[in-house]
Amino acid sequence: MTDARSPFSVPVPASGFPLPASRSPPPASRERTGAQVMCEALLREGVEVMFGIPGGAIMPFYHAMWEYRDCLRHVLCRHEQGAGHAAEGYARSTGRPGVCVATSGPGATNLVTPIANAWMDSTPLVAITGQVSSAVLGKDAFQETDITGITLPITKHNYRVTRADDLPSVFHEAFHIARSGRPGPVLIDVTKDAQQAKVVPDWNVSLNVPGFSRDTGAGMRDAVKQAARLLANASKPLILAGHGVIISGATNELRVFAERTGIPVITTLQGIGAFPEDHPLSIGMPGMHGWVHVNRAIQECDVLINIGARFDDRVTGKASTFAPRARVIHVDIDPAEIGKNVKVAVAIVGDARAALLSLIEETPPRDALVWLQNIRDSQTTHQHRQPYLRRPETTELMPHDVYAALNAALNERGGYRVVTDVGQHQMWAAQLIEWRRPRTHITSGGAGTMGFAVPAAMGAAIAHPDETIWAIVGDGGFQMTNQELATINQEGITNVKVAIVNNGYLGMVRQWQQLFEGKRYSGTPLSGPSFAGLAEAYGLRGFTVDRIEQAHDAIECAWNHDGSAVLDFRVEREANVFPLVPPGSSIGEMITREAAQANG
Amino acid sequence: MEDRPAALNRVLGLLRGRALTVGSIALGESETPGVRRITVVVETPDVQQTIKQLNRLIEVLEVTDVTNAEYVVRETALVKIHAPEPRREEIRTVAEGFGAKIVGISGTTVVFEMTDTPARLGEMIERAKVFGACETMRSGSLAMALGVPLPPTETPAREEAARPWWQADGAC
Repeated sequence: MTDARSPFSVPVPASGFPLPASRSPPPASRERTGAQVMCEALLREGVEVMFGIPGGAIMPFYHAMWEYRDCLRHVLCRHEQGAGHAAEGYARSTGRPGVCVATSGPGATNLVTPIANAWMDSTPLVAITGQVSSAVLGKDAFQETDITGITLPITKHNYRVTRADDLPSVFHEAFHIARSGRPGPVLIDVTKDAQQAKVVPDWNVSLNVPGFSRDTGAGMRDAVKQAARLLANASKPLILAGHGVIISGATNELRVFAERTGIPVITTLQGIGAFPEDHPLSIGMPGMHGWVHVNRAIQECDVLINIGARFDDRVTGKASTFAPRARVIHVDIDPAEIGKNVKVAVAIVGDARAALLSLIEETPPRDALVWLQNIRDSQTTHQHRQPYLRRPETTELMPHDVYAALNAALNERGGYRVVTDVGQHQMWAAQLIEWRRPRTHITSGGAGTMGFAVPAAMGAAIAHPDETIWAIVGDGGFQMTNQELATINQEGITNVKVAIVNNGYLGMVRQWQQLFEGKRYSGTPLSGPSFAGLAEAYGLRGFTVDRIEQAHDAIECAWNHDGSAVLDFRVEREANVFPLVPPGSSIGEMITREAAQANG
Repeated sequence: MEDRPAALNRVLGLLRGRALTVGSIALGESETPGVRRITVVVETPDVQQTIKQLNRLIEVLEVTDVTNAEYVVRETALVKIHAPEPRREEIRTVAEGFGAKIVGISGTTVVFEMTDTPARLGEMIERAKVFGACETMRSGSLAMALGVPLPPTETPAREEAARPWWQADGAC
């Protein structure tokens, strides 16, 4: 676990520290502190690992945590933002709630970004924050912040606990809310005195959320029948599959439904993995950086069934121009998403898997071969032209060379998950890698939080120690959270491989400045350290790659290395992502690479 | 809406977050213990969408749109007027014409109270300004649909001694 090269490595504690007298759970009637109750509550919810940083107001919890460390692992991070994103990576790769812990004041406010990120992407997350003692609440005490007030709009719900007696029911409720229905973040703020108070916990708690569980199954049958009729008669049908399919565990049902009806399948950014891209019915990603043939198909289709996507503006472009000839069927567990951005003909409110099972029963078998062939022809014409081509005067490594090498390695070896950060590299990853399984593509979509990938990859790596977790990041996003490399080292995590697509810019912003702002590169040229050197300084393996012939070998070497690694791919600096739908345009109006080059 | 901490904050925060304008808010207890009723006057381009958003909140038990139903609406206003002795009779007569009543007198000022539809309150206040009203205060509208009462809001049965954790002393 220790790395001899790093002067500040801390040995993982061995038997030198006293362990609790009894390893079995204390008898239910015994009195214990609120902090111990919190630990036991987490164990009862099936939590195995938490990511956090201690501080004054959360010290009692950390004190209690020590006694449970053989069944409840704590990962000390370097910034609470990293802890939050790590919990998200854990949650997105497993489907189970991720847990992060911070102290009051700045510790809590550093969690705001990951909480907002989880809110936008429907990630189940439980954030536990310490709070000052109730005696000084509201008096601007040291490190006091109204974190429950701050996170009101970005949590499904939050709690401020001042009495230890309330802890069992609060924790049970919080986890239920985080993981049920449309998942999302929940925050529990616990005052220091509540953590310290001694109580006999009452575990006999029933859920008390009458305003939450609404039965959404009732009207589904009729809606499904209507949808089935539309689909049976459609000549140009399309399936749009989103994150909801993955959350619902409905990838098999989606495949069965698609094969039964022969309908081509589109996956959104967060739906990637819901349908294997090597399947004959898979046509690709829509929207702002989606493929020409996919966007054109949407604009021509006559019935579009959306399962578990929320018609985000990156997918629809100008919403009023989206799918103008289609009647839209929308399947979503959150009724508030239906009709929010796009008018629907048939609304099916409920769980994606339940809806798909019902649809499979009600929709007669059919095919759409002519339509599919049209789309394929369009794809053949357009898709191969989009990846970036080398400028004649350079021999630099191109981003798409990196992705070609990565894609080959990933699909040859299997046993991987990929976490991407935000920017051009994120779009290339979505476009250029052939994705086949759910929860193997993890990215920050709705919030687009730079710095997400390295800590989230760490969280996924802890959840899946037998797999290799690749983080694909840009040089900008990497520098926002690279301190977590120290955590990776301290925790002895050996299965994270970070690929930095390094172009010395905030690339996506630079691209927009080039295309829309007359190349005014204001605030976008970005310097960085030698990333391989930085990795080595953290006790990891570092590689620098600036020629295409090095790329394959570096990836092989990093993958085989028994330790985490960072690969610095120094790529062509001004490569652009195509196609692109300009903001405010219809998705039918794409800028393609040839068009952009023709315009200079 | 369940009487939970910060529930009102959440409702108002949501309306603000969706960029909707709130005209008035009235909040108080209902016939069911532990459940409060809010009447909110909101400008929204899509009523159904707003209702669905509000329903996502954990504490919100039910949302009813009374705009297009048959409903009763009332609001209370308190108006303080300079009413020196010579004018007092005249002011009182006008007030009684509106159905307002005097609820406080001190020195040269008089405070009137009126409860009626918001429109009528508006008329009364316009009239009061002619007399030099120096302070007006409105409570926000209450609205209730006519007809069969809403079904009793289901809150789970609680034993007499136990209160929900958020209602205990010290909870916030």
